[in-house]
Amino acid sequence: MNEKIDKARQQFLEELGRATNEAELEQLRITFLSRSGLIARLFEELRGVPPEEKPVVGKLLNALKNESQQAFDTKKESLEATVRPPVPAVDLTLPGRVRPLGTKHPITQTIDEIRRIFAGMGFAVATGPEIETDYYNFEALNFPPDHPARDMQDTFFISRNILLRTHTSPVQIRTMEKQQPPVREIMPGRVYRNEAVSARSLVGFHQIEGLYVDAGVSFSDLKGTLVAFARQFYGRDVKYKFRPTFFPFTEPSADMYISCFLCKGKGCRMCKSVGWLEVLGSGMVHPHVFKSVGYDSEKYTGFAFGMGIERIASLRYGIDDIRLFYENDVRFLRQF
Amino acid sequence: MKISHRWLKDYIRFRLSPAELSDKLSMLGLEVGSYEDMAAKYDKILVGKVLTKTKHPNADRLVLCTVDTGKEILEIVCGAPNVAAGQKVAVALVGARIPRNQHDPDGKPFVLERAMIRGIESNGMICSAYELGLGEDADGILVLDDKARTGTSLARYLGATDIVYEMEVTANRGDWMSHIGVAREMQGFARAEASLPRVKIRESKTEARRVATIKILDSRKCLRYSSRILRNITVGPSPKWLQDRLSAVDIRPVNNVVDVTNYVMMETGQPLHAFDFDLLSGHAIVVRCAEEGEGFTTLDGKARTLNSEILMICDGSRPVAIAGVMGGANSEISNKTTSVLIESANFDPGSVRRAAKIIGLSTDASQRFERGVDIEMTAYAANRVAQLLQSLSGAEVLKGVIDVYPKKPGRRTIKLRIDRANRILGTSLTLDHMVALLKRLRIKPVLRTRGGVVLEVPSSRKDLVEEIDVIEEVARIYGYDKIAAKTNATVDFSKPRQVESLQDELRDYLVGAGFSEMLTLSLQDSLSGNLMGGKAVEVLNPVSAEASVLRASLIPGALQSVKHNRSHGEKNLRCFELGNVFSLREGFSKSTLEGFDEEERILLLLAGEISRPQYGIQGRKADIFDLKGEIAALLSKFHLDKYRFISYDNAGALIETALAVEINGTYTGFLGKITRSLAIRFGIEDDVFISELKTKVIDQNRVVEKKYRALPRFPRVTRDLSFVVDASLPQERVEEAIKKSGGSLLSGVTLFDLYVGDRIGPGKKSLAFTLELQPMDRTLTDSEADELIGRIVVHVQAECHAKLRSL
Repeated sequence: MNEKIDKARQQFLEELGRATNEAELEQLRITFLSRSGLIARLFEELRGVPPEEKPVVGKLLNALKNESQQAFDTKKESLEATVRPPVPAVDLTLPGRVRPLGTKHPITQTIDEIRRIFAGMGFAVATGPEIETDYYNFEALNFPPDHPARDMQDTFFISRNILLRTHTSPVQIRTMEKQQPPVREIMPGRVYRNEAVSARSLVGFHQIEGLYVDAGVSFSDLKGTLVAFARQFYGRDVKYKFRPTFFPFTEPSADMYISCFLCKGKGCRMCKSVGWLEVLGSGMVHPHVFKSVGYDSEKYTGFAFGMGIERIASLRYGIDDIRLFYENDVRFLRQF
Repeated sequence: MKISHRWLKDYIRFRLSPAELSDKLSMLGLEVGSYEDMAAKYDKILVGKVLTKTKHPNADRLVLCTVDTGKEILEIVCGAPNVAAGQKVAVALVGARIPRNQHDPDGKPFVLERAMIRGIESNGMICSAYELGLGEDADGILVLDDKARTGTSLARYLGATDIVYEMEVTANRGDWMSHIGVAREMQGFARAEASLPRVKIRESKTEARRVATIKILDSRKCLRYSSRILRNITVGPSPKWLQDRLSAVDIRPVNNVVDVTNYVMMETGQPLHAFDFDLLSGHAIVVRCAEEGEGFTTLDGKARTLNSEILMICDGSRPVAIAGVMGGANSEISNKTTSVLIESANFDPGSVRRAAKIIGLSTDASQRFERGVDIEMTAYAANRVAQLLQSLSGAEVLKGVIDVYPKKPGRRTIKLRIDRANRILGTSLTLDHMVALLKRLRIKPVLRTRGGVVLEVPSSRKDLVEEIDVIEEVARIYGYDKIAAKTNATVDFSKPRQVESLQDELRDYLVGAGFSEMLTLSLQDSLSGNLMGGKAVEVLNPVSAEASVLRASLIPGALQSVKHNRSHGEKNLRCFELGNVFSLREGFSKSTLEGFDEEERILLLLAGEISRPQYGIQGRKADIFDLKGEIAALLSKFHLDKYRFISYDNAGALIETALAVEINGTYTGFLGKITRSLAIRFGIEDDVFISELKTKVIDQNRVVEKKYRALPRFPRVTRDLSFVVDASLPQERVEEAIKKSGGSLLSGVTLFDLYVGDRIGPGKKSLAFTLELQPMDRTLTDSEADELIGRIVVHVQAECHAKLRSL
């Protein structure tokens, strides 16, 4: 009996090995595994086996049955895998169904990125009104009445002493009035200038202002902070320089330039062939400004900076007409 | 402002290329915007002599010239009717850049090439005044002076060999508005001292103060008045060198007297004026304020109306100049003038600025006075004018300067603390180092103190008033680039970080929901500004009518954007904007901020198709319910359960089929369809659906702290019910009836079908709902569910006169 079992196993495995298609497999199944197949017949022969041998032979038979079925299933799966039956065709080149794509305005994206960088340096966000008083927009920022510095920013007036803020700097004053140092805030928002509309100027645009006041803040910190910002925003290997300039509310004041990221400083249309781009204005907060908010300028020092978002975004995305930012052409908006 | 390279050399020795000088001055804060090398402009253009002129063999209108350029004889084809043998002309050689092309509509420059013209080779070009940018005459060639030397460069012939810098003078540095001022700034980097020329005058015996009187009646506005009187002057054109210098810095030469005053102003920064002395009644100068409403005609021929704030220079009987701004026509220098009074005065900056603003006139003089002119310069400048006029026209200079100087200020000193300077700058400079830096700007130590030094500042530096001003000078001369960029700042972790603002969350949510963010201008035309009813905020001095009113709503800007996109074929829009709107507050004054409402709104807009046809999906136009659904989703995003839509009839001419949105009983905004008439105004044919909400109400009511509620552990049962009701019955009534009778087991009601048609008869509609029953404490049996549904049906039937429709 044992021999018969071994032989049956050997025969089954050999024939299984030779089988190459479904029909041959089916034939094999009928011959060996069906109810009237060889293995079933062997189980019938078990009746004639002496009772003392039955458990051993039975075990062998069961093993044969299981092994054969397993080998058969494996073979069948592998055959099916190679010869896949035809299924109803799905044309997978059909396009996916689209849903509408939303985009954040490039000005918002630029503000968000600047905010993110300064947030990492511990700057919080503050805002203020767009309709401002002459006091907050000019006087408290050390623009004396009848001073030509007022011509630096052509102003829209609402009444004699109410105007549309020309810069985000009044938020500096409002912030300092509300809290004692340390102050570390950035202040984004819309500002207004009475200028003729062109590809380079609009009656309104966005600015982001920054202010850091504490004991022991120096011009060196100003440079360090703004260079750290520039490296994150414009690229790790950006070159920079600070140039003296004049703002009534800071002294010393500095314009920051970075090497043109389009031509790497060689000179191109974007940087008007000079290789440098002016990207922000900055300076140490003027003692007169501290005086107007009641800070002790002997105890505290600080720096402030500001940049025009439309300009920064134009440079960043290579946009040559800032009016595009306000037309909201969806073909434009989708590019960002 | 223009500064000449050659002119600077009169005051300071330096050997720097224009590029180097530009860079060094810019790094001190005197920004050189650009510079023009005038010689380079006329490179390869020479003075030539026409030797012969013959007919062109192949063209009637052209002639053939031989031209001597000093080095060679060139054959040139010329088309100008006025060319003649013997003329001195401007010849451009091959390779020259011609400033203007007269065959180009925009007159763009071009590079001259050798050319075959009708079979004859032309080896250059004889230029017209237009082509050289020297005039508008393009019909004939420019004929030069007979005495011009053949072969000299045109630049040299024109005296245009200078380099001219365009400088951006900041508002605090009036002293930069002169060549000596720039030369003194150059001491910051050039190892040389700047100085003004010494003035020597041969004075006549007659004393000036015996022939003229000068009185200052307002010594608050006129701080000093110095004057020279000259006689026996011959007024005429200035010599070429003087005209060239003035032309180089964009000042038009007039006559020798006026030109010398302008020259000395450009030299010293001191504005000057020359009066025809014989036209000054009583040979007197009286400085006083104008009478209210007094009329006056300025040099430019314009009649002006004065007021009592404006300081005037008067003679014995009438005004003759607006102090610090412009002289008058009544005492102008003319060819008949033989005696002049030179005014070299100093006026209060603020009052000159006010006067210039009042009469709307900004001049070279007023710009300098506004920024501050060196009060110690008046006498020198008057002398310098006298000296130059004497040498140019042989004028007699009367003895002495009449110098009325009511209150000579003492020397100005500023105390500088070394520690303070180093703390502001983040440096560790020594006192000696700082003093050495400052000395280069003529800021001199007068007294050393404990930890510091007392400095005397030059009178020309009116911007130096206090310690911080001097600290800036230390930093400038030391060099901003030498100050280390360091970051020792620490982040304070004990302060709570700002949570993300509502605006950030709104933007992120809407972008995710497929909306594109728009930005529109806040200044609009008055029609758009006033659309919302209410009182719009107007700008007093608009730049144009299109930008004269602050937006009272985000809608007009949004419609403008819809219009723009439609004109480019983009009709399907899904957009939002977040921004402030403005209005006047009733009953408040416009002179305080309380008079204005400034609030933030969010606008959502749907136009065109809400979904485009794609395979398997039918396209569909957006309607009010798409927008209503978006608003509902937006509000539930902020966990604002207690919002409701109510009918809205307050939308005026803007919106129809409108709904108001209320959050916790507070009006938040509205949504609806843009009215036909408004759409037509913007040239929009399709329906546009717009919602505008106040973000403040959303912010105040939103749930920031989120709390977990236990999830139900027992299965949910759903049943569908369909009712037929009168077509006029609002859906909301049926929904409410279901909810009311459903009690706490009923966790959700969703309308899934609305049917109107033959199968239910006229005047009726069918509303089909899915009801969700959610028990919290047990599994609901079928009979329990049936019983509840039965109760709901009975209630709705009674309440809404509804009939149950079998599904």
